[in-house]
This record gives sequence, structure tokens and C-alpha cells, in this order.
Amino acid sequence: MTDFILSLKDVSYRYPDGTSALNDCSLTIRRGMRTAVLGANGAGKTTMFLHLNGILRSSTGHVRWEETPLDYSRDGMRKLRSRVGLVFQNPDSQLFSASVREDVSFGPMNLGLPKKIVRERVEKALLAVGMAESADKPVHNLSYGQKKRVCIAGVLAMRPEVLVLDEPMAGLDAAMQEELTVVLEHLHAAGMTIIIATHDLDFAYGWADEAIVLQRGRLLAQGNVAEVLLKPDVQTELGSSPIVAEITSSLALTGMAVRVNGYLPRSRSELLKAISEFHRQENEQ
Amino acid sequence: MLTEQSAYTNRWRQISPVAKGFVSICGMVAAFAAGSPRTALLVALILSLATVLGANIPPVRYLRVAAPALFFLLASGLSLLASLDFSYNSTFGLSLHLAESELPRIFQVCCRSLACLTALLFLALTTPLTDIISLMRRCKLPETLLDLMTLSYRTLFVLSEAVHETVTAQSARLGYASLTLSLRSLGGLVANLAVQVWQRSQALHLAALARGNDGALRFLEPDYPDSPRAISCAVISGVLLVVLAVYLP
Ligand SMILES: Nc1ncnc2c1ncn2[C@@H]1O[C@H](COP(=O)(O)OP(=O)(O)O)[C@@H](O)[C@H]1O
Ligand SMILES: [Mg+2]
Repeated sequence: MTDFILSLKDVSYRYPDGTSALNDCSLTIRRGMRTAVLGANGAGKTTMFLHLNGILRSSTGHVRWEETPLDYSRDGMRKLRSRVGLVFQNPDSQLFSASVREDVSFGPMNLGLPKKIVRERVEKALLAVGMAESADKPVHNLSYGQKKRVCIAGVLAMRPEVLVLDEPMAGLDAAMQEELTVVLEHLHAAGMTIIIATHDLDFAYGWADEAIVLQRGRLLAQGNVAEVLLKPDVQTELGSSPIVAEITSSLALTGMAVRVNGYLPRSRSELLKAISEFHRQENEQ
Repeated sequence: MLTEQSAYTNRWRQISPVAKGFVSICGMVAAFAAGSPRTALLVALILSLATVLGANIPPVRYLRVAAPALFFLLASGLSLLASLDFSYNSTFGLSLHLAESELPRIFQVCCRSLACLTALLFLALTTPLTDIISLMRRCKLPETLLDLMTLSYRTLFVLSEAVHETVTAQSARLGYASLTLSLRSLGGLVANLAVQVWQRSQALHLAALARGNDGALRFLEPDYPDSPRAISCAVISGVLLVVLAVYLP
């Protein structure tokens, strides 16, 4: 089994109106990892995602699933789309039915599965995103965050190997973001490869294993999230660095080398834990 | 959205839509079979009482939902009754003519329409539209029609939200402060909505592709647990209703 599950090689894409959205973009997605895709507005994140799922097809270069270039035939696409689940940014433009349960059944029904299996998958997917109690509600009575979770359930019900989410945290309040992070954590623990486009550096730093930074349709940097986000050119492109990393390094300048379990803290809670751990050790000495 | 609210919260929400649809159709058959206005009114009374008492819909809400239709019924009844007369022998050459001889027939038509209305309300107030659509799907109605219904129904809410947001934004900038401004804002609203509809249809198309769609929209039909009992109840009461309408003078 290869380490890379999906990759782009020299992919360029121009929209019909002439906008060049991807320019010789090459990147790789590693199996089982949490990958954050960062980049300014218009950097090409959404366009790149549409290539992963075979909705857009570039004239040059190619997209590969493991070792093989994508098969754009009808059957090939059905197979790819059952493996790569794509959740768009705006929930209102991807929910078809006014009934939650019916909408979640849309994907698995498209796969041509028997009704009994579809029913099972729908219930499991709704449970996984914590929407089982709202299954009989009409979609238009749900909150924005609940609609987002229904969208994710709709994709999970297709049992993809890779889950691709376009700015899932946009428009969610802190509590809803926390709930969604828990859902994603469960999916990751179950072995799913997850790719998220985000503007939120702090979220990416705390959540992801890998980071991909796009700049005007090109790959700027790719690799371990901690290394990538601390590169000077990435910081210039994104305009800042993760606040937790900044605090950690300024603490280090004052002589406080804070660590959690021997690692640099990545999130707010880890940072707080690391600081109190540091003080505890100071007091012991 | 009073109908919506009732459809999702009434006591018969969990009863199979097949059962409710059957009673509703029997109600319409009974309305047409009713030989006299009195029988039609009786059918209407039974159906509306069943909806209000059986499904536990507040009577006031029932009347509010029925009001627009009742108004149209009244208006069309009156317009049938009064007809313009173009005959030359009247003094003005044009006169209002009351069709008194037609009165019983018009009354009969109105009563039947009323009974039909209550039969429709029986279904509409107890069954969410998604259930009605999946019922129609089971009846093998054309896919295209049903897909259109599904998407229009969903789009209705998305667009009403968009209208609401646009109007709020326009009002916040005094867009409706005067008549001329209102007209301009209204034009802006329409233009903006047209663009939104177009963009949304693009987005929906992409989302359908992403979820493996390549043709008709397919959904899982809801599963109703107590179907056999509900259906036998529905068959008995529906048939009784028709028999009543046919045999009552
Ligand atoms: N449907 C479209 N038609 C024309 N240009 C588009 C379309 N969608 C995106 N673009 C353009 O392509 C570029 C990349 O956009 P996108 O992939 O949406 O970036 P991101 O998701 O990173 O914000 C932008 O310059 C954007 O304006
Ligand atoms: Mg985007």
C-alpha cells in the first residue's frame, strides 16, 4: 500500500471566463493524515478540491488515485466519488431535499445500493455527526451548524476513504466549531483521510498533521504543519503565524521552554497545560 | 408557513402517508359523488372535523389556512351567479343579470368544491410535502415532475431567506424610505435574485455531481412502522365516506 492516496502533478486549470485558478500545481495527500490546505482568498483551494473529486478536469498534468491517473469515464467517476467525499462550503447549495433523512440518502442511493443498506448507512452517518434526533426535521428549520453537519452526514453515508471539507468552520460559532472538531477527531481515529481548506491558522496548527499552502494557484509549501507554518515565506503569504507558536517562542526568549509531553504545544489548551506544567516543575526544583 | 408547521407537528405525523392519501382521495371521490349540496356539506364537515379533532389541528389555524381558498370559492360562486348581459333590449345595452334559475346548480358546485377543499386540507395539514412527494413517487408519477417539486420546494425556503436578507440590507440603507427609492430597491432585489437563482443552480449541479449523481434524483422513502393498521383504518373510513356520499339522497 502506498503512502500517497491522492496527488496532483503539474495541474493547471483555467475557468471558462479566462481566470487562471491553478498553475502547474503539484501536491500529494497522505493516507490517514489530517491535511490542512491554506491560502488567501482566490488561491485556488476550492478549484483544487473540485479536481480531487473529478468534477473539474485539467487539460494539462494529471490527478492520481494512489499510482493510477483518474479514470474520467462514468464508472470511473462513480467509483472515485464514492471514495472521495466532498463537502462544499455553503450548506444551502448542497442540500436537495427538505427532509434530513432523505437528503442523507441521496449519495448512497446514487451508488445504487439496496434500500436496506442505504437505510443503515443513513442512520449511522446521522449518528456520527450527532444529528440522529433531528432526522425527521425539515432542513429549513435547522441552524446553520446543523445544516453543515447534515451535509457531512450526506457524504459520510457514501463511506468515502477521503473526506474533503471546504472551509467547514466558516460561519460556525466557537461551540459549534468544537463539536465539529470532535466529529472530525472520531473520523480520523477510524482511519479516514481528512483534507480541510481553512483560513484559520490557529485551527490548522492545532488540528492538522500536514499542511499545504497555495499561492495564486501554485504550491508554496507542503509538509509537516509545524514546519510549514513557521517558514518565513509562508508567514509572509498568510500574513501571520499561529498565535500559540508565537507565544511559545516569545516564552522561550524569556527562558521558559514550555512543552507538553516533550513536544511544542499546538493549541490553546496545550499551551495552557504546558505553562502550568512548567511552573510545577520550577516549584519542585 | 402555517401548513408546514401543522404538517410537521400534528398528531398524525407518524401515520403512513399512504393511509392519509387514500382517505384524502376518497374524500374527493365522495365530494363528486355527493348527490345533493347537503351531502357534500356533510362530507366537508366530516373531513374538517376529522382534521381538527383527529389530527389535533387548532380550529383557528385550520380556518386561517382555509381562508384564502374560501375567499376564492365565494368570489367564483358570486361571479357564476352574476353574469353580464349584452342583449339589446335593455335600456343601457349592457346589464347585470342574476342567474336565479342556476342558483341550485351553483350552490351544488360550491358545496362540492368545499368538500374537495377539506379533503385536500386533510392531506396537506397532516402530511409534510416531502412525504407527499415520496408517496407520488411510489405511485409512479413522472420522475421529472417529482424532481421539479423536490427542488422547487427546497428552493422556496432558500430564496425566501435570500429575499428576507436582501430586503433587510436594503432597508438598513433606507432603500424603502420613499416610493421612488422603493421601486429602485425592488428592481435591485429582482436582479439580485435572478443572479442568485443562477448561481445556486450551478452550485446544486456541482453538489449533485460530487455526490455521485448522474440523472434522476433518488431518495430513500421514509419508513412508517404501523402501516398495516393505519391502512386498514384508512380503507374502512374512506370507503364508508364514499358509500355515504353515494347512497345519501
Ligand atoms: N466559477 C468560476 N468562474 C470563474 N472564475 C472562478 C470560478 N470559481 C473561482 N474562480 C476564480 O478562480 C480563482 C481561484 O478560486 P477558488 O478556487 O475559489 O479559490 P479559494 O477557494 O482558494 O478561495 C479565483 O481567482 C476565483 O476568482
Ligand atoms: Mg473557496
